[in-house]
Amino acid sequence: MDQRGVGMSSDFSLFERHLDALYRSALRLTRKPEDAEDLVQETYLRAYRYRNRFKPGTNEKAWLFTIMTNVFRNRLRKRPAPEDPIDQPGTDFSIYDQMRRDGMPVHLMSPEEIIVDRGFGDEVKHALEELPVPMRMVVVLVDVEDFSYKEVASILGIKIGTVMSRLHRGRQALQKKLWEYSGRPKAPSLAVGAR
Amino acid sequence: MGDHCEQTMRRLNTYIDRELSETEVSKVKAHLDDCPPCEQVFDFQAEMKRLVRKECCTDDAPARLRDWVRQLGTEKSKPAG
Repeated sequence: MDQRGVGMSSDFSLFERHLDALYRSALRLTRKPEDAEDLVQETYLRAYRYRNRFKPGTNEKAWLFTIMTNVFRNRLRKRPAPEDPIDQPGTDFSIYDQMRRDGMPVHLMSPEEIIVDRGFGDEVKHALEELPVPMRMVVVLVDVEDFSYKEVASILGIKIGTVMSRLHRGRQALQKKLWEYSGRPKAPSLAVGAR
Repeated sequence: MGDHCEQTMRRLNTYIDRELSETEVSKVKAHLDDCPPCEQVFDFQAEMKRLVRKECCTDDAPARLRDWVRQLGTEKSKPAG
């Protein structure tokens, strides 16, 4: 094996570029700033230690996230079994459907108006942090970090089908939480519809 | 809900996550152009995805952590394992 990888200090800056992304995801996973910082430090220590195993030209962000999610899962110790209930079908839920059922003019409202403007701030982060870890990881990687399904499958070592089902369940569970937080949204004033 | 609606709804996530082939994308688009109820659902969910990203991108790494990472990167290369 003669892959030199990022042995030189200048190349390590390639990894530093993803610090904010790693940190905000670490925050969603650990929920605590001090734990997030610790998780990111261990991630970078490992990235540094194994830097010769990184193939230049491949996706360094995905590589760093693979390290971080592995460190995190090892820390949790209790790994979810393959038959974990999160992969079982549940009841479908979406804020859109719920509002329609309640007779709200949902087509005249944005999710932002429904959730954020009525809320106490940070409710999206809160809701995300309440999701079971396997779903939370997939939603963070796809929705916040913009990884493809294939990349997420590789990062987490799961099948693409599992990525898709966790994403689906995760998004529904997220909306359910947000719906609970927001209470029953009022219909928008008539002025909104009149524009 | 017609067959087309059901078929399109099954592609809701893959569409907003840009996981579909061009052919599939144009099929979905063609249906959405003809079907405002489906289009509204798609718009809402796409907006929802943007909202999650926007709300979660507000935390930047603390400066001391950045300094630490930089420090690590400039360490004299020890034999890497």
